[in-house]
Amino acid sequence: MGQSNTIRILDGNTFVVCEDTGDIEATPSEPTGLFSIDTRFLSTWVLTVNGERLNSLSFDDLQYFESRFFLVPGVATHYIDAKLSIIRERSVGGSFREQITILNHDEKPVDLEIRMDAASDFADLFQVKDEIVNKKGEIYSEVEADQLRLGYRRGNFVRETSISSSMAARYDSKGFAYTVHLEPNEQWETAIQVETHAVGPGGRDLRFGLRVHGDERLALQHDLERWIAEAPKVNSEHGRVASTYRRSLIDLAALRFSPLSLGGATLPAAGLPWFMTMFGRDSILTCLQTLPFTPQLSKTTLRILASLQGSRFDDFRDEDPGRILHEMRYGETASFEEQPHSPYYGSVDATPLFVVLLDEYERWSGDVALVKELERESRAALRWIDDYADLVGSGYIWYERRNTDTGLENQCWKDSWDSISYRDGTLPPFPRATCEVQGYAYDAKVRGARLAREFWDDPEFADQLEREAMELKQRFNRDWWVEDGEYYALALDPDGRQCDVLSSNIGHLLWSGIVEPERAEKLAQHLVGPRLFTGWGVRTLAEGEARYNPIGYHNGTIWPFDNSFIAWGLRRYGFAEEAATIANGILDAATYFDGRLPEAFGGYPRELTKFPVEYPTACSPQAWSTGTPLLLLRTMLGLEPHEGHLAVEPRLPIGMGRIEVLDIPGRWGRVDAFARGRLDLHKLTD
Amino acid sequence: MVDATTRFFEDLDRRGYEPLLAKASGTLRIDLSEGAQTRHWLLTIDHGRLNVSQEDREADTVIGTSPQLFEDLAAGREHGLAALLRGDMTVLGDARLVVQVERIFPGSPDSLGPRRRFTGEVR
Repeated sequence: MGQSNTIRILDGNTFVVCEDTGDIEATPSEPTGLFSIDTRFLSTWVLTVNGERLNSLSFDDLQYFESRFFLVPGVATHYIDAKLSIIRERSVGGSFREQITILNHDEKPVDLEIRMDAASDFADLFQVKDEIVNKKGEIYSEVEADQLRLGYRRGNFVRETSISSSMAARYDSKGFAYTVHLEPNEQWETAIQVETHAVGPGGRDLRFGLRVHGDERLALQHDLERWIAEAPKVNSEHGRVASTYRRSLIDLAALRFSPLSLGGATLPAAGLPWFMTMFGRDSILTCLQTLPFTPQLSKTTLRILASLQGSRFDDFRDEDPGRILHEMRYGETASFEEQPHSPYYGSVDATPLFVVLLDEYERWSGDVALVKELERESRAALRWIDDYADLVGSGYIWYERRNTDTGLENQCWKDSWDSISYRDGTLPPFPRATCEVQGYAYDAKVRGARLAREFWDDPEFADQLEREAMELKQRFNRDWWVEDGEYYALALDPDGRQCDVLSSNIGHLLWSGIVEPERAEKLAQHLVGPRLFTGWGVRTLAEGEARYNPIGYHNGTIWPFDNSFIAWGLRRYGFAEEAATIANGILDAATYFDGRLPEAFGGYPRELTKFPVEYPTACSPQAWSTGTPLLLLRTMLGLEPHEGHLAVEPRLPIGMGRIEVLDIPGRWGRVDAFARGRLDLHKLTD
Repeated sequence: MVDATTRFFEDLDRRGYEPLLAKASGTLRIDLSEGAQTRHWLLTIDHGRLNVSQEDREADTVIGTSPQLFEDLAAGREHGLAALLRGDMTVLGDARLVVQVERIFPGSPDSLGPRRRFTGEVR
């Protein structure tokens, strides 16, 4: 899709994807444009001077919300007449602003016809993603003296783009133009403002006045500076870890998303460009990764997800009482119920993970008030596990979509159609149960018991949850252990037959604590062994399995976030060296992406490719990839809340040198952690 | 026969307390307009305690829609957040209250809930 040559800037769920000239020329399948609330508001945005397209000399991504392009007239193959330069500076905040500056370097005056072609197809993001734009409503454009309005209307559903300019422009239905005379060394500039509107009846914007006013760019700049100042500082001997950390911190700021109508609170959106919205699973896992660094994200995420917790049965949305949402969308297809995301609840891990996050958050923050505030929602989530998720009656969480048209087949994190298979490669029938989700359920019960005993004053419920957790652990270790491979099956089919492939999911089981201690060493060996570990990280599916493919989305690629939880799990069971091996590989890989880990990269052996091969359509920045270096730091430094203080037990590889993390926030105030590389990883892999 | 809208509000009034709204407080007015006619419902929420009247007075949040659409919402045939995104329902004031109250509307009458593969006792 040519995404590698595109420039992206964003703020919340408003973002621009364009070419390196700043132009936008979207086709139905080309994901360029100005997007907001899951709708494309500009699909054409092409600047010409005297009828000529412009050529890029350079561009800067100044901040995640602004970029600058230096251009000259003519296309690249022509002789470049550099007597004219054009600078486009743009930012997104509540709106999209572009400043155009034209400088005449010639000794003679020039007359210029400057034109911007502007149009919008108002495609729903889902339509762009699936490459189908089939609009049922009417697209219009209204030319006014001082602005151009592009619009789309379907019943009461109205989305509008309004374009205005600081310098007087001539507007027509396909754009706007200026006639400019420039003396030698004279410059001309104009500021263009593009506003996106979701117009309800009576002309009111559906976004409820939440949008930023005043100087958006300055407000965003201050906000980013405050965000960085409040987070811990990381210094590292080789600079590499520190710069990856800083990149992650800035990307996390960029991915903060404020859901409509929830009072401006932010949670991490899942990723650019397709997933700039709230996802239960992604938001919770990102919060778990980033808790030691940006704990405020966890509090708002828990509150927002609680406020939208399922309350009834709705088969179209796969909603049940107590279920935590999977995905929320605001576009046309969700509005007209052509897609179920208003919100959609088809995920089976977000609900137990909600309880896991609440407990982990309290252990760090000591925020008892939030644990009490969310008691009802936590109990409802725990009840969902037993009452509504056990579709087979065997004591596990299962999934089978009720929305058979547009619901998700696989409701676990490996959600592609072919991600769950038997060893012979065939796919199991539904309902399915995947192993890591049983681990999350176990952990939710154990942690829920602590919350009930310590904060909800309900020791009976705590006893019950502990008993259930113990029984689940016994049952799980009986039913899921693959004897001939000595690991846990990826999934069970409804007859209880094992999907007996070796997968990365076993690492999540270590994190959850459901693994019998005597079996942990075998798992650790698999995780850093040649079938799963490439030298960069752990593959989603082991080499040698029928469906293994080093660039198979969930069947062989390496997902950085997956690896961060695997490393955490290894550390939990005392396998510090194995955890450090994985952390080291993933952080090495990060340097090839300027510190910005992609969603996934190829599962080729490290010695074969020498560099990590990016998965073709991977999303970047993506929240849980962005959170990965932070969780790896926590894991290597052995940061763990312990009886009201922060325990630090570093186990770093030698090559990593010294690392210090300063001002780690928590119930202890602010604490520093220092570490020095002492682990010789070569001994381990030899 | 009493319409679904009236039944919905009478039921709330009778229950007097809704645990799903335990964290919500405020007043929500629903204006149901048809031609020149507007019918009002006023829902007062105080940490989950509910009071229903048909007064037309100032409220923290005002929802505007047609009586037909609200009838469908009250019967679970339509979904509030989708209607809001579609522009078939408008909101003035504090939108959080709408998101909170939306959760107490019934689910679709056609929904069957989880499709269990077993009958009888679990475990």
